[in-house]
Amino acid sequence: MGNSATWRPGTMNEESGFIRHGNNAFVAQFSESEREVLINLAGQIIELLSERSDHADEDPLAAMVGITTHDSPPDDEVLLRLLPNAYADGVDAAEFRRYTESVLRNKKKAHAMSMRVLLKSAQDGAIELDHDNANAWLGAINDIRLALGVRLNVQERSHDELELLAPDDPLRGVYAVYSWLGWLQESLLQALMDDSPNEVN
Amino acid sequence: MVKTKTKIEEEIQAIFNSDKPWVTIVWDDPVNLMTYVTYVFMELFGYSKERATELMLKVHNDGKAVVSTGSREEMEHDVARLHEFGLWATLQRGDQAL
Repeated sequence: MGNSATWRPGTMNEESGFIRHGNNAFVAQFSESEREVLINLAGQIIELLSERSDHADEDPLAAMVGITTHDSPPDDEVLLRLLPNAYADGVDAAEFRRYTESVLRNKKKAHAMSMRVLLKSAQDGAIELDHDNANAWLGAINDIRLALGVRLNVQERSHDELELLAPDDPLRGVYAVYSWLGWLQESLLQALMDDSPNEVN
Repeated sequence: MVKTKTKIEEEIQAIFNSDKPWVTIVWDDPVNLMTYVTYVFMELFGYSKERATELMLKVHNDGKAVVSTGSREEMEHDVARLHEFGLWATLQRGDQAL
């Protein structure tokens, strides 16, 4: 699993991050550049998921009940990570995908849209989430991190290697955003678990 | 045809082997944060923070862990929800080797 310890202040506004307000409010203040980055990335996830939309010529009744013509895994590596196989067995995986993939795509799109819409309407960068919104944001941030993680080849590369990317390496900026998102997600998680009934402390 | 026949036999066997439930497995992933995986287990399964943390560590240390057991339908539901939150999950028969 990953950790968020590699992020260091400086790349992005170090003041940002979520804190809990009362029972069911999680607030953060984003700078204009942070807001733009998040709106842009959420938009890219929505676009990517929409690219794999259901074929127009498919049975409209099947589409209505969520059955898609997709029963093979996506060729794109990022899409495959976002929409993974549910079974090791290819036949079972295809069957499951056929009946569930469009629902999964729509849920992921809804998470990203929830984040995008809130950020777009918060022109001063002040964000307040309730528990449900927070869960949507966690999912959206995670999908973005999964997508960036594929591009960064996090599977193969160590964090030390990524830390040592040359200043002119285009992946360096991607890694900075990836790390910042991990830190942001962690801050939201800490705020959410702060008041967990199962909290030991 | 052989494949189909095998599948049907498996299905029939599954109906009579309700004592051998299906399992949901979560696989380790270098991207998902430990806190996030713990939180998702608490949210989706209602596990205590202690149990969720224990399962998260099992995934982290062993590369995988069974996070829920039940009927095939229930496990398909669990896998779908785990996928919604970006965890890498699969389901299989409980008596199959992990």
